[in-house]
Amino acid sequence: MIRGGRSYVTSAPSFSNDAKKLLVCTGNTVSVFSAATGLQITSLEGHTAQVTTLIVVPASSAAQKILCYCWTASLDGTIRHWDFSGPELLQTINAQVPIYSMVIPSLLSEPQQTDKRYDSSKLVAYVSVEDTSLVREGSTELRGHIRRFNLAKERLPRGDTLKETEEPKSIVISPSGEFFGIRHKCKIHVWDVPSGGSVSKKMTLHHTKVINAFAFHPTERIIAAGDVTGRVLIWRGFGNRKLALGSQKKNARAMVDLDNPGVRDEDDAESCTTWHWHSAEVNVLNFSSDGAYLYSGGREGVLVVWQLDTGKKKFLPRIGSPLLYFIWSPEPTLSSVVCADNQIHLLKMPSMEILRTISGIKPPPSLPKMYEGLSSTVAFDRSSGIAALCTENYCVQLYNLLNDRGISEVQVCERNHQPGDEITVVVTAVALSLDGSVMSTTEVKLPEDGIGGLVSLKFWESEPDSKTFTLSTIVYEPHKDAGISAIAFHPTRSMAVSTSFGGDFKIWVSNSDKSQTDKDSSWICHAVGSYKKKPMTAAAFSGDGTVLAVAAENVITLWNPDKNILLSVLGATLTPITKLCFAGKSEFLVAASHFPKPELSVWNTSKLSSSWSYGLRIEAITSALDSSTFAVLALVPKIFRKSKSKKNVFRGRDGAILLFNGSDPKPVSIWTVMKAEGGSISFLEGDKSQLRLAYVNGSHEYVVFDPNSDETHERSAADYEGLVGEEETGDFGYTSMYGELPDYDKKRKEDAESLVTPFVSSERPWETIFSGSTLNFPPLQKLCGEFFESLMEKSNSVVE
Amino acid sequence: MNLVNIKDVLTSFSPALDYLALSSGDGRIKIWDTVKGQVQTEFADIASAEETNIYTSGGKGHLSVDYTCMKWLSLERKKKRKLGTSIIVLGTGGGDVLALDVASGQLKWRISDCHPGGVNAVSSSTKASCIYSGGADGMVCEIDPHSGNLIRKFKASTKAVSSLSVSPDGKILATASAQLKTFKCSDLKKIQKFTGHPGGVRCVAFTEDGKYVLSSAVGERYIAVWKTDGAKKQSASCVLALEHPPVFVDSWGETDKNGLYVLAISEVGVCYFWYGSNVEELCSAKPTKVALATEDSSLKQNKGSLPTIFAAKLQGILKPGSANAFIASGLLVKPSFQKMVLQFGNDLVLNASKNGILLPITQSASKSKKGQGVQSKVTTLDRAHAEDALLPIARVADLHEKKRVQPHSSEKDTDMVDQSQADYVETFSMEDKLRSIGILKGTDEPSSLSYTSVIDGIDLEAHLPPKKLKSAVLSMAPSTAFKNLEALVAMWQTRGCGGRYMLPWIYSIMVNHRHYIMSQEPKNQQLLNTLQKITKSRGAALQQLLQLSGRLKLVTAQINKAAGKETQTTVHEQESDESEDEEDDVEEHFYGEKDNDSELSSDDGKDEDDTLMEEM
Repeated sequence: MIRGGRSYVTSAPSFSNDAKKLLVCTGNTVSVFSAATGLQITSLEGHTAQVTTLIVVPASSAAQKILCYCWTASLDGTIRHWDFSGPELLQTINAQVPIYSMVIPSLLSEPQQTDKRYDSSKLVAYVSVEDTSLVREGSTELRGHIRRFNLAKERLPRGDTLKETEEPKSIVISPSGEFFGIRHKCKIHVWDVPSGGSVSKKMTLHHTKVINAFAFHPTERIIAAGDVTGRVLIWRGFGNRKLALGSQKKNARAMVDLDNPGVRDEDDAESCTTWHWHSAEVNVLNFSSDGAYLYSGGREGVLVVWQLDTGKKKFLPRIGSPLLYFIWSPEPTLSSVVCADNQIHLLKMPSMEILRTISGIKPPPSLPKMYEGLSSTVAFDRSSGIAALCTENYCVQLYNLLNDRGISEVQVCERNHQPGDEITVVVTAVALSLDGSVMSTTEVKLPEDGIGGLVSLKFWESEPDSKTFTLSTIVYEPHKDAGISAIAFHPTRSMAVSTSFGGDFKIWVSNSDKSQTDKDSSWICHAVGSYKKKPMTAAAFSGDGTVLAVAAENVITLWNPDKNILLSVLGATLTPITKLCFAGKSEFLVAASHFPKPELSVWNTSKLSSSWSYGLRIEAITSALDSSTFAVLALVPKIFRKSKSKKNVFRGRDGAILLFNGSDPKPVSIWTVMKAEGGSISFLEGDKSQLRLAYVNGSHEYVVFDPNSDETHERSAADYEGLVGEEETGDFGYTSMYGELPDYDKKRKEDAESLVTPFVSSERPWETIFSGSTLNFPPLQKLCGEFFESLMEKSNSVVE
Repeated sequence: MNLVNIKDVLTSFSPALDYLALSSGDGRIKIWDTVKGQVQTEFADIASAEETNIYTSGGKGHLSVDYTCMKWLSLERKKKRKLGTSIIVLGTGGGDVLALDVASGQLKWRISDCHPGGVNAVSSSTKASCIYSGGADGMVCEIDPHSGNLIRKFKASTKAVSSLSVSPDGKILATASAQLKTFKCSDLKKIQKFTGHPGGVRCVAFTEDGKYVLSSAVGERYIAVWKTDGAKKQSASCVLALEHPPVFVDSWGETDKNGLYVLAISEVGVCYFWYGSNVEELCSAKPTKVALATEDSSLKQNKGSLPTIFAAKLQGILKPGSANAFIASGLLVKPSFQKMVLQFGNDLVLNASKNGILLPITQSASKSKKGQGVQSKVTTLDRAHAEDALLPIARVADLHEKKRVQPHSSEKDTDMVDQSQADYVETFSMEDKLRSIGILKGTDEPSSLSYTSVIDGIDLEAHLPPKKLKSAVLSMAPSTAFKNLEALVAMWQTRGCGGRYMLPWIYSIMVNHRHYIMSQEPKNQQLLNTLQKITKSRGAALQQLLQLSGRLKLVTAQINKAAGKETQTTVHEQESDESEDEEDDVEEHFYGEKDNDSELSSDDGKDEDDTLMEEM
């Protein structure tokens, strides 16, 4: 079981006290990297949901620098205390509500007394939590709460609530530990940290634009804030009146009458200045540790250093991706910038040069709405375990799933080096040949005002030495103006097929077969085919490559790819097919369609009839090469996921991987997964003996596991965090999900041998369930079950 | 000829083969990421950097350290954490043994002056329970890899220990000076002594099962294989000869199970590979060589840096005689890594990549060359080209074409025209049905057969009058005729060639060579059966086809009547005629096969029958 592709950028990382280690939140774990080599040293495992906050206990003296303690807070509702040199879990506190952010002021303000504070049971944390008791769709309740917890007590009380907001907000604390605050739309709320047992006082700063980030000055009363339009505001001397300490109150009162330039309304600040440089939203704001400089960054991918007194700027340009966090280390020469493309750059400080980069898997690109669900942006090389993933900036990243390491990147088309610009080109599909030697990509240049759109198809040949691909052939407008719906490679020869929405498909061959010079191979069109001018939506080669199946909307056409002869047509599904796959070398063909009604159907190509089908929305299909085993990634219907009785089964998981064996409609095993939308699965067959299944989810996290593993393996798998969990064998999980399957009468079907599709429109009980006035509805719980059953038993009704 | 000396290069793969540590003698260690092919980190000055903290003496710089041996280990933790620590154990010429934690980039431990005079070798078993080091003082030290504590120390030899190795199970230790000795690891008792090497042994390796030791001394152009479970004193069981002295030896496999695989790298950077199912076979085996292509003229001019293979490791066995190996090759400044299959008996020549060297070519020339190279590589097809296909548009591309070509399915197609719910109508081909019954095999066979239309003197494509055909058949030897018959039947069965060409031949052969065929009866029972089966099945299909064509005619006639078309009808009439003809032919032939004496029907009848046959 290999897990990887974690995001390093979900929350801010943190340096250890000796600046030799960098702690990074990676999903449910905290990974400790060495700042010197960029390699992972160890990881803190224990949280069962995403870790949101990471606080390294700072050292007050040089002798304490070797101390390696940290606090973590997570969405699983626990706060944990670790010794990360070990690594060892020291303490777990259950807060019972998901924690989005946490600050512990006392660690910062009086570090010399930390030891005493543990004893005196006075370790106070301010946390931003989501009140899950109020979660309901469309409710307008204020779910985000800022609460005060005492971590020294074993079991937490509810805690005093300081503020309620619509969404949980992240808390920012001043480096001195005196103040903390949150941003809320156009306002910043600031509290001071009471020294005694008194209640903290609050003040608010106002602005006209939505504030995106803000930071406290380490020593002085200065707040810097960045808004969505790119302005940076500096408030000086905030809270002199409202947050003043008792002794200073008199002085503060005297200042009320003074003119406060730039300060809005009656805000409590001395002055407010605005700096302009950023053209887009500001995401990163941080003061240097001595307070002389302010670092800012945003969507442009440029780190800007402002000298606080003069406003002079220095830049670190060409980082290449929107910035997310900037943190400095206890060592003055080292700091770190975190980018949205899952990379952490370590900077050598005064000169701001990138020393080293800790890079993870790149996140998927944000596609325009119309391409969602249509594109296949992940392809697998089964033998070597390499995945080709489409990422931002029109790159295809080649990622070794077995080693959890990126190999190289292929720039599919010219990128704009200014991140955050408008997307003009969309890479819609990537495919790898079975031996991994050829890659094919398609891209669509979006038309501007209806003109200038261009579809192109590219073939790339691999270079074994440099482990990357070089462009071999570009085909502009391969299917006239129509877009390409799918690409599939021949299993053994250098042959590919591309299908288009324009109603034809083309078979491409590489002419290197004949000329035998591998240097200048190019691809040419071998044949064109169409079926009744219907849009071709999916294609697949059979396991031995002798039959090509192309889906023409809702029928499947079978072709001889060499001679380009239509062999036969498989009768219709109800909705257009989006994915096709032969089940290994068997005669079964798996088809999936999802719009407007989802369906997974299995066809027998020798009998030219449908074997069975389910009303499931399928994201991906894969089949093993040798056996007739195939696996599908299905999205669990929303209505079912929400039903209360099953909630504990899914626990936020929205998809399931079902493993089938040939013609048997009962899945062999089921795994529930998270973030299945946009996910992809594939069998990996590196070693002959071992068949493994790789699952890449919608945010490019992945897991590689053995689908045939026995019970003991599963238990160990369950110990891992919850990307894949709830592993269930046989039909136990299935029956628990969908109820007992109808006894499937296969013989009867074969006797009938009806070549006409059995998909006559059956009676639709769900239509009657929902008709009538709402008062007459059966209870929701019952309704869900019935509704789903009616969806699932469709094939049954056909058989009878 | 420049010989690149890779004797001084220290290499060590990480156990998972995802990193390679490389030290080329200047006191720096580069960690290469073998997946990416890039440098992950570089360690320089680790030893002295640590010293500056403690003694506050000025750093001596990395050039002052000279590493003599290197070994990468991964330590298993007791708690089974996911990330076991990975350490590189290094021996220095100054006699220190030190361990470098790779992930954190820090010195893990250090034993100063472990071997006065210099450390010569470090080794550990696969489990890395302890490390052994041997040095110029003839001592062997056992070291705990976690803490760096010296567990024990013993005198292995009066001379300097030049190399040592631990068996994979960790039970036997082999030390070598000029003389090879094996010790039991538990009590350090000497087991065996192997003499024969003239000088200091450079490399020692155990086989996977620990039954043999491989060794090679400095300057020797062979690898000696010693048996470990034999008499106390022994001579080498066999020697494996190379063209240059080896610097590295690795082996895989067990003598009993899947044979023995030995991999060695010689001083000039050529990889040698032996395979034998047992030692005797291994001895007589001729090595398979893996080398880099060196004829590149531009590289020959640069003195000193020729690309070589400098590290390799066997990974596993695919099938007897071929193994997976991971090879690092190229220049030391920019190695390239590849996993490859070594097939015993097939010499391999790898392409040397020129990455990482500055080629002495004038700038302008290189520029223009580069530009051309890049441009000529990419083929661009625009819209006009993209529409050119090698094959014509599919025969059954749309409705109207289909009507003509697949008459038997056009009845349903007419439905499609009329009814909007065309999707429910199936179109299917006979071919699929036949294939599902098992009469047809996969279509990849015929594709190979179809091109071999000439079988042993039979020119199938040629039209021969019956007399010539007969004479040709008679001129054949009975055995060849029989063979031809078999081939023809196979072809007919797989439909590699039209029945028009084959049936006369089959018929003629059967008539003229019936005695021989009968004599072959027990054997060719099979053949005749298939022949009968094919003819029967095709004959059986005829009735249905006839019915179909009759209906078809009716329907088309009606359609045409409605549409006022005349041409279509004629086509279908013709086709129905054909099928009638065909029925007769096949029947006749069917009987002819039994009786061996009926006459051939006219050629044009055959012509027509074949068109249908092809469609079947």
